Amino acid sequence: MSEILLKIKDLIVEFPTRRGLLRAVDKVSFEISKGEVLGIVGESGAGKSLTGAAIIGLLEPPGRIGGGEIIFDGQRIDNLSDEQMRPLRGKRIAMIFQDPLTSLNPLYRIGEQLIETIQTHLSMDNKQARTRAIELLDEVGIPAPQTRIDAYPHQFSGGMRQRVVIALALAGEPDLIIADEPTTALDVSVQAQIISLLKNLCKERGTAIMLITHDMGVIAETADRMAVMYSGQIAEIGKTYDLIRNPKHPYSVGLMGSIPAIKGDVKRLVQIPGSMPRLNDIPQGCSFNPRCGKAFKPCYKKRSPLIEVGNSSVACWLYDEEYKGAKAK
Amino acid sequence: MKKRNLVKVRNLDRLFDVSKPLLNRIIEREERKILRAVDDVSIDIEEGETFALVGESGSGKSTVAKMVVGLLPPTKGSIEIDGIDLSDKSKIKELRKLRSEIQMIFQDPFASLNPRWRVEKIIAEPIRAFKLEKNEKAVIAKVAELLTLVGLDPSDGRKFPHEFSGGQRQRICIARALASKPKFIVCDEPTSALDVSVQAQILNLMKDLQDEFSLTFLFISHDLSVVRHMANRIGVMYLGRIVEISNSKDLFENPKHPYTKMLLDAIPDLEMSGKERNPIEGEIPNPIDPPKGCTFHPRCPFVNERCRKEIPMPIEKDGSIITCHGVEEGRIGK
Repeated sequence: MSEILLKIKDLIVEFPTRRGLLRAVDKVSFEISKGEVLGIVGESGAGKSLTGAAIIGLLEPPGRIGGGEIIFDGQRIDNLSDEQMRPLRGKRIAMIFQDPLTSLNPLYRIGEQLIETIQTHLSMDNKQARTRAIELLDEVGIPAPQTRIDAYPHQFSGGMRQRVVIALALAGEPDLIIADEPTTALDVSVQAQIISLLKNLCKERGTAIMLITHDMGVIAETADRMAVMYSGQIAEIGKTYDLIRNPKHPYSVGLMGSIPAIKGDVKRLVQIPGSMPRLNDIPQGCSFNPRCGKAFKPCYKKRSPLIEVGNSSVACWLYDEEYKGAKAK
Repeated sequence: MKKRNLVKVRNLDRLFDVSKPLLNRIIEREERKILRAVDDVSIDIEEGETFALVGESGSGKSTVAKMVVGLLPPTKGSIEIDGIDLSDKSKIKELRKLRSEIQMIFQDPFASLNPRWRVEKIIAEPIRAFKLEKNEKAVIAKVAELLTLVGLDPSDGRKFPHEFSGGQRQRICIARALASKPKFIVCDEPTSALDVSVQAQILNLMKDLQDEFSLTFLFISHDLSVVRHMANRIGVMYLGRIVEISNSKDLFENPKHPYTKMLLDAIPDLEMSGKERNPIEGEIPNPIDPPKGCTFHPRCPFVNERCRKEIPMPIEKDGSIITCHGVEEGRIGK
């Protein structure tokens, strides 16, 4: 595999509250190589978006990084001040948000927003920046960019707005794009367009993407590797193909089974009983144990580390050597 | 064996006036603007089946749902449920009874429950409104029974909606819908706001309840895999018109209308077969000013002169109803 671009080690994101510290992201570790697409799936509240926000330094107070390291291109970035973070943010790490309407300023023409971003990161005069902005709009597939550049965000449809947001993210020619649910607000036919656009742009430029979504189909289409998150922890991480075809963690198995299939005859969906625990009520041991059909003794005592099984790593005691052959109770 | 049609919708139209205020129109010399949200929709729903409407946002599927339950009056056309026309004012008594047999489940379980009411009051409302139980004691017993039925605890009735998660709230909405002993339930994107694992729980619950009470569902969704799982028959909508009605299996294995094909092509490929997809062109046009002729023609790969001028009429082919000149002429789907 190629060079490692981003390395996260034991990242903790916590919220101080009156009733003590709540850990929303609990010792998450993963790496992203240059040009790689890493998908992160999980239900709402699993901590996927917070992990993304922590990397780019956009955690909303009182949320804060409570431990661990974020190393970007050999440099530790989790302890940088806002001042030091600024040249990185937008220039080397860019972000695409879920809702394309709220991530554009409705009072400025999209051209002005693009030119501002370009001039912040690259030294260009107005004319060059405008030419560059038109190029970017053309690249993301906006028809007639010469005239559309002077339009306001409300004059665009949802899909077109998301294209503008992608153009904004690309403006600084970043090495890493954190895409937080980039297609969730869009219709299926437009979603397909945006996915293939993202995929192609990154292939051409060698940009790495951290794709955060709850839609397994989107991950299957785009990601090289994927991680499944559950209540602030990584349950399983591995090659997308392996994980989708052959999930190992009981939670990933349940998650895959709960997606209605397009092909094959309609049968009952696999359902995981219950719902994800609240942050102030995370059970001891493996946080999935109350919902897991295979839970046995060690699951209630201690959380499993990531254990390598084949090409994936799984945080489940079922795959531990010591408990091999142990029966579900 | 052909079952009785519970719901008959004929040539339904719904227009919305989206013009500016009169004074603005005079000053700016603008015409009235009319949005045609639903255009000539006809549907039959058999007793006990799940009929699904799919389409992108703005295709008019929710407007159809609202008209079918009587939340919106149609501009033109008729809706007949259980043999009674919803607009027939001479049958007030029958209509009142009929209304208790039609219920709706909404998309957003956060917005569709009154935050100031306890759950037991929410679920008891239809029972009290239609006077289905004799006394208060029976109402309370019925509420407890309904809560158990949807997988909640009877003691949850004392709580307020904010104490529940999204999936549990949708269970409360289902319990409320079942309270008036309906025959027909309209579900408008009931699981779109939920996570997949919770969605699976709700879909399973809805299927179980359908079997138990022989309910008929009109199921509205934009998620094709959910629709495939739930529906017996599917109607595909585009810009207010139905472009195809087929059996669920036929629609997915052998889509006939070019728009249906495009929609199916757009589903992300979970199988990871690595097949190349046909790139999709364009987006749904502005419904205030829809294209002439077949509304799908600017995005259709099989377009010809006739499609640009003439509005296609629905035709029957191999058990499906298709609205497409190309299919009618035999140009598409050989």
